Amino acid sequence: MTVESTLAARPLVNFLAKVGRWGYHPAGPTFAEPAAFAALALLDLDAEAAEQPLRFLAGAQQGDGSVAVVRGVPEPAWTTSLAVLAWASSGRDEFHDAIERGVDWLESVEGTTLEGDFDARHDATLVGWPWVQGTHSWCEPTAFALLALRAAGRGDSPRALEAEKLLADRLLPEGGCNYGNTMVLGQMLRPHIQPTGLALWALAGVDAADVRIEKSIVYLEDTTSPLLPPTSLAFALIGLTLQGRRPADADAWIAEWEKRPEFSRLGVYKAALLLLGAAPNRPLGSLGTKS
Amino acid sequence: MTDPSSAHPPQIDRRALLVGGGAAFAGLLGFAGVREMTASRSRLFLAGGQDYSGDLVRTIRDGLSAVQLNTAELAGKTVLLKPNMVEPTRAAPHMTTNPAVLRAAAEVFRGFGARVVVGEGPGHVRDTDYALFGARLDEVIRDERLTFADLNYEAVAWRDNGGRATKLAGFHFPESVLAADLIVSLPKLKTHHWVGVTAGMKNLYGVIPGCVYGWPKNVLHYAGIPESIFDINASLPRAIVIVDGIECMQGDGPIMGSPKQLGMIAVGTNPAAVDATCARIIGLDPHRVPYLKLAAGKLGPIHDRWIEQRGESWESLQSPFELIDWPHIQKLKARGGPLVT
Repeated sequence: MTVESTLAARPLVNFLAKVGRWGYHPAGPTFAEPAAFAALALLDLDAEAAEQPLRFLAGAQQGDGSVAVVRGVPEPAWTTSLAVLAWASSGRDEFHDAIERGVDWLESVEGTTLEGDFDARHDATLVGWPWVQGTHSWCEPTAFALLALRAAGRGDSPRALEAEKLLADRLLPEGGCNYGNTMVLGQMLRPHIQPTGLALWALAGVDAADVRIEKSIVYLEDTTSPLLPPTSLAFALIGLTLQGRRPADADAWIAEWEKRPEFSRLGVYKAALLLLGAAPNRPLGSLGTKS
Repeated sequence: MTDPSSAHPPQIDRRALLVGGGAAFAGLLGFAGVREMTASRSRLFLAGGQDYSGDLVRTIRDGLSAVQLNTAELAGKTVLLKPNMVEPTRAAPHMTTNPAVLRAAAEVFRGFGARVVVGEGPGHVRDTDYALFGARLDEVIRDERLTFADLNYEAVAWRDNGGRATKLAGFHFPESVLAADLIVSLPKLKTHHWVGVTAGMKNLYGVIPGCVYGWPKNVLHYAGIPESIFDINASLPRAIVIVDGIECMQGDGPIMGSPKQLGMIAVGTNPAAVDATCARIIGLDPHRVPYLKLAAGKLGPIHDRWIEQRGESWESLQSPFELIDWPHIQKLKARGGPLVT
């Protein structure tokens, strides 16, 4: 059996393929991020099911090329990155125009920079991407934008290369990252699992001579366990796998979630991430990561 | 056990409120002082000697009775309990609202016949399940079969800015916040390395959805932290406060500070009055705290003579917290010892 045929038989796929709307929570409305991750997770497992969220995202694309977090609220649109990543990963020509418009919008967005005497250890002059236009850059939106640019063939652009530099800069000296601060008012902050997993996904293939990358991998190895909630578990497994350090029991941890009573109440977002965590190399290993 | 019926009435001559006397008095106080004075009196209940294994249900119920919250009207209504879960880790329980306080508050409001929802939008972590686990609030929600509203990821609706201290035209609030008949801010009492203190009002940053405002909610920082605290509170439906002041955070709050045992539960129907009193207790002058200066007279009184105290006096509970040695925080300290207001 192929990896794809094995995966396609899983409850996660069955759940995602039938749900029909893509929210963070079972009873909640559709948001762009869950739709994008659902598309990514289903791409080569159920083409028909993947088509629905891809087309939803295309339909949600606004006149300026952005895809807002939720329909009806034009800003913020940090989810444009995830839409571009999903469309580009699909390889379908019908999304070519949407990708180009989305990338153009992404390249027009910059995080605000801070010069001079500023109490934080990170390099606040690096531009990156903010959550909301007019604010500072943070780890996760920058990572999403970097992955999108790479998937769209712009991985060598100056913005993409600076994004790599920014993500490495936001890693804590002892490994891991949080939302994107390192030190504030003289105090070093704590790492968090989800942004560390995402940062390691985005930095896969980037120069591993930076000791903070190895320390971040070790941080995740030390903190990743089946006790983690699904979102953090999934990002941790994606990051570790794409860094070549997938835990031996990772498959069992994901499978265990499918047996839990609360599986039916997971919602699309968490289910899609768990499915990606089941075999990240499949859809993500060649797309969005540095080749 | 504190006597909820005991009161510490403000020491003001009511004659000063009469038209003739008022004009002269207003000249002495200035316009802001008069406005604060003539605003509705706010009641506040303080209970010392509390611990997490004690009868917090009784303490909270006594407190709500002492501040004369009309609990009969809560039957059949929706009460949103909003604990603080900004960036939890089990290694730092003094950072977040203790599970015992949440559990007790839920029991109290359910006892009034309300439908209780727990809601929070952690500001620094996107994985709300991870935050619930770190704060141990997942155990309470599971054990008590409470409904949890993930305020970071709900449908939102727009409300115009009711404060206008910032340039923000309004806020996108989560549907659970707008659907609540009563919001109960359940903060952990902590120092805050930007605004001095975080209690009932700053805790309500957590009703602002991360999916719209980011992690952190940087839009609010750019708009001005004191100003956005004021505006959020001015724009929300009705809110009261129950403060977890048992094991608090001092030093580099609200994340990296050290534990401070205070043993206090505070209950109040006016968040500004509650926060001002908490500021006094931890050794700050509320009139120097920027968001409280903004709130004075507009959202509620901050001068203790306009705050009707029940239970124990704030003076008896005062225990100055360690503050970070940065000028913008040091200048918030109360001068002259425990009785300075």
